[in-house]
Amino acid sequence: MNRSLLKIIDSWVPKNSKVIDLGCGDGSLIAELTESKGIIGYGVEINAEKIATCVANGISVIQEDIDDGVEKFNGMGFDISIMASSIQCLRNPNLALENMLNMSKKTIVTLPNFGYWKCRLGLLGGSMPITDNLPKTWYETNNLHLCTIKDFENLCSDMGFKIEKKRYIDIRSKESFFAKLFPNLFAAEGVYLLSK
Amino acid sequence: MKINRQLIEFKDTFKLESGKVLSGFELMVDTYGELNSDTSNAILVCHAFSGNHHAAGKHNTDVTEGWWDQMIGPGKAIDTNKHFVVCPNNLGGCAGSTGPTSINPASKEPYGGDFPVVSVSDWVNSQKLLMEHLGINKWELVIGGSLGGMQALEWSLSYPDLVNKAGVIAAAAKASTQNIGMNEVAREAIRKDENFHDGNYLAMRTKPKRGLKTARMLGHITYLSEEHMNLRFGRKVQNEDTKIDGYVDFEIENYLKYKGEKFSDSFDANSYILMTKAMDGYDPASRKNGNLYKAMEPIKAKLLIVGFETDWLFPAKRGKEIQAAAMNANILSSFVILPGNQGHDSFLFHTPEYEKIINNFIES
Repeated sequence: MNRSLLKIIDSWVPKNSKVIDLGCGDGSLIAELTESKGIIGYGVEINAEKIATCVANGISVIQEDIDDGVEKFNGMGFDISIMASSIQCLRNPNLALENMLNMSKKTIVTLPNFGYWKCRLGLLGGSMPITDNLPKTWYETNNLHLCTIKDFENLCSDMGFKIEKKRYIDIRSKESFFAKLFPNLFAAEGVYLLSK
Repeated sequence: MKINRQLIEFKDTFKLESGKVLSGFELMVDTYGELNSDTSNAILVCHAFSGNHHAAGKHNTDVTEGWWDQMIGPGKAIDTNKHFVVCPNNLGGCAGSTGPTSINPASKEPYGGDFPVVSVSDWVNSQKLLMEHLGINKWELVIGGSLGGMQALEWSLSYPDLVNKAGVIAAAAKASTQNIGMNEVAREAIRKDENFHDGNYLAMRTKPKRGLKTARMLGHITYLSEEHMNLRFGRKVQNEDTKIDGYVDFEIENYLKYKGEKFSDSFDANSYILMTKAMDGYDPASRKNGNLYKAMEPIKAKLLIVGFETDWLFPAKRGKEIQAAAMNANILSSFVILPGNQGHDSFLFHTPEYEKIINNFIES
């Protein structure tokens, strides 16, 4: 995860909070937040290699398929649930979001913006776009449900999720003027703090 | 690998969970590797119900390697070049520690059926005395599979300040109804053996071997996966010359009989009953009105809970329940499912993934 994304997430996570990171990868986000905010963090991951890395790094990790449902994490007193760059890989992203807001007071989501101008350019050229944050070909990617900034914000509004905070970053991971002004076109990534 | 096998005597009276008192007891203990000067490299390995102190390597007259030799040794998952590994035979066992085959100081006869009921807590408490005897201040890791995993869990919750990490492998926080049912069929087979004599068979100079054999045959089925049995034996017919008895048609029948026979030569029937009763009775949640996470709240150790895909005796989801309770109680804990195709017995066998997880956990 890049530094600016990390900085944004870090600023939204309260000190000593209980955090669950769905799709935690090698656990580096939990490690950072443990260091900076003293969180009690748990990661959920399905990849055996990444799980082994989490264990080696002393990260609490649970082997689980998020698509099988995450209701089991309800009622465990999580303050924050995080899904960083994974929501587009899920079979039912809307249900996952709903569940995340049930299991925790607040939810942080980061997602690649499919409305980003380079993606649009790619499609104009007649092909599925390949960009820095969507680097894989259509047949190799794990992404099932790509969406634009606009789509995501519409979903939140339809589902009754409150967007408490949002930030847009461009392809150089900067919060540039254009990314702020026309996020659906110029933001490569959106970062959201949601509540119900 | 430096192996040291010793019989350690504990002279003080020892009160059991049941309220009964032993006037003293002995533990047969193996240690592997060397304890460092600040005793920070000590690992306690707890054995499953039919296991014993001989976890790794070969000592003097040992014919085979220990039961967890694939995981313990120089350069292995539990590396004896770095760690001092302690494995005792549990109280109530039959491999050298005080148990039903020991002489009861009161009657000067073997305890037999009079040996008091022991529990997982009793084992942990006796291992605590062993820890003091060995001069260890804190376990770097307490680890075990199956009933051994229950002991690792119990260690972390009854002595939170004495355990850094606990590895709970192929275990559950309590035996299921099905587990208890299976165990009772096994126990009943033993009790119904005409040589059982209410457990006092040694005084009668006999043994309920047939009952114990049947019990082990049933047990053995529950340790293997359907897939593994199918692959290994299928419906292959047993060779006429090697049939154990005239009732055998299939290889699997012969195999179970052979295993049962061998086991009934070496294991004590009263120990079988005691160990399975300890397994059935373990239920830390019951101390907090059935609430496992409340029971786990005192834990300070970091937990690694491992389940195996093909284990149907203690299925992986039972391990997941332990991790969920730990997470509920804000205890640092991980849950991993490993492939392993040998059913419950998978915890005994090395795979690269298994070695990596255990080793990563120890080194973390």
